[in-house]
Amino acid sequence: MKRRDFFKKTATIAGAAALGTSNLNAETTEQPIDNRKVSPVAFPEKRPLIMYSDRPPLLETPRDVFTSALTPNDQFFVRWHMPDIPTHIDPDTFTISVNGLVNKEMKISLNELKTKFEQVEVTAVLQCGGNSRSAFKPIAGGIQWGSGAMGCATWKGVRLRDILDQAGLHKDAAWIGFNGSEKAAYYETPNFVRELELSELDDHVILAYEMNGEDLPYLNGYPLRLVIPGYYSDSWVKMLSNITVTNEYKKLFFMDVAYRVPDNETESETPEKRFPKTKPIKKMNVKSVIGYPTRDSVVTYKSHVVVRGVAWDDGHGIQDVMVSTDGGKSWEKALLDDGKLGRYAYRTFRHAFKPMNLGKTTIMAKAISKIGEEQPFAKDIKWNHGGYKYNGIDEVTVEVV
Amino acid sequence: MKKMILIAALLASPLFAQLNEKIEVPYVPFPIKMGKGFEAIQTHCLMCHSFGYIINQGRQSKKFWHGKVMKMVKHFKAPMDEQAIKETTDYLFEHYGNGKLK
Repeated sequence: MKRRDFFKKTATIAGAAALGTSNLNAETTEQPIDNRKVSPVAFPEKRPLIMYSDRPPLLETPRDVFTSALTPNDQFFVRWHMPDIPTHIDPDTFTISVNGLVNKEMKISLNELKTKFEQVEVTAVLQCGGNSRSAFKPIAGGIQWGSGAMGCATWKGVRLRDILDQAGLHKDAAWIGFNGSEKAAYYETPNFVRELELSELDDHVILAYEMNGEDLPYLNGYPLRLVIPGYYSDSWVKMLSNITVTNEYKKLFFMDVAYRVPDNETESETPEKRFPKTKPIKKMNVKSVIGYPTRDSVVTYKSHVVVRGVAWDDGHGIQDVMVSTDGGKSWEKALLDDGKLGRYAYRTFRHAFKPMNLGKTTIMAKAISKIGEEQPFAKDIKWNHGGYKYNGIDEVTVEVV
Repeated sequence: MKKMILIAALLASPLFAQLNEKIEVPYVPFPIKMGKGFEAIQTHCLMCHSFGYIINQGRQSKKFWHGKVMKMVKHFKAPMDEQAIKETTDYLFEHYGNGKLK
C-alpha cells in the first residue's frame, strides 16, 4: 500500500468512528445513530461492514440488508468480547466436551454431531442486547451500535436436549455452563462463560454448525455455537468448546455484571440514581427496522415506493406492523409475509407509499406482537445504564425530490 | 487416480476450503490522538482491545472515563496501579473529554 493510500484509508475509518457523537447533550432517548458508512476493510468471509474494532472484531450490518427475512452470512454482524480468538480450528479434530453432573462424560466430534444425532433446523433472530445502544442519552457505556447488531438465519444442528439425554443428567443437575474458545489477554480476566438454568431449556435450543446452508462463518462462531431462539445473543456462545452440568449457579462476570437491566417494572433507572437490583436481559422485546428506503435513498415525488423491513420478538410472533408516513399522526397496516419461517424468525413487511410532498418525509414502522406488546416511540424509552433492549419505533427520513 | 484422491479430499473438507488455513483478522490503524499519557494507554488498553473501543465512546466526562478505567481494573482484572489509573483517565479526558468533570 502506498503511504498516501494508507492515510486516505485511515481518514475514512476515522470518519466512521467520529460521526457517532452527535447530540451528546440531549437527555432523552432518540433514534439510534444511522449515518455510519461501511468500512473499506473487509474481514474474513465478510463483505465490508460498519466496523468498530478489529480486536476483538466488532462489525455491524448496514440498514439496507434488513429487507429480507434471512441475513446473508457475509453481511451478518460480528461481536466478540476477548482479544484472542483462535485463528484456526481443525474440523477433523475438533470436539465438544460434556462433563460435570452427567453419567457419562463425552467428547463429541463434528462428524459425530452430524451423523449420530437427529439433525434439526430453526430460523431465529440473533440480536445483541445492546443493539441500537446509541439511542440512549446520556451515553450508556458500551459499543455505540446503530440498528444493525442483529441478523436472522436458519441454523442447523443438534438439540442440546438430545446431547444431555445421551450423557445422562444426575438428579441434582440444575445449571448448564457453556464455554467459548475466545481467550483474554490476562489469565485473571473472567472467561466468556454463560449459564442457563435447566428449566429454561426447551427443544428449540440447539448446537448449530450450519448457518443458511453453509458452515458457520468463522467470525460467527465456527465450528459450533449455541442457538437460543428468542434470547439476546449474549447467551448464544460462539466457538462452543465445553458444556458443564452443575447443581449450583456460579458467579460469573458476563452473567452477574454485564448484560443486565434494572429489575423493576419499566427496567429503567437514572444516571444519578441507579437501581440496585438487576436481572439478566434474556428475552427480546418486540421491534422492527426499516430496510428500505434508507437515509441515502433517492425518493421521487409521486413515485411508487415500497417501504420494506423486518419485525420480530421473542417468539410470540408478530401480529401487525404499522407504517406512518406523516410523522406518526396516522398509521396504516403493512403487508406481512406468510410467516413460514416460524415464530422466531424475522417477519418481513412491505407497504406501498406514494410521496405527495416534496422535501423531507419521515417514514416510521411500529411492530405489535401477538400478545399485544407494542413498540413505543423512541422518546418514551426509559434509560438503563447498559443501554440494553432499545426497541423504539424506527424512523427513516428521506428527501423527496 | 490422482484425480479421484483429490475429489475424495474435496468431499471430506468443510464447505469452505479456506478454513483449512488460518484466518487473518485485518489490522486497522485507528487514528488515536497523541499526547501526554499516550504511553499508558498503549500499555494498558491495547493489551485487550483496539483503540476503536475508545474512539467509539465519543467525548465523555471525566467521571465516565474514570468509570471505564475502573471497570477494566475491577471486572476485567487489568493490572493497573494508582498511577496508571490516573494517567489513563487523564489522557482519555484530555483527548476524548467533553470538558465536564461529572
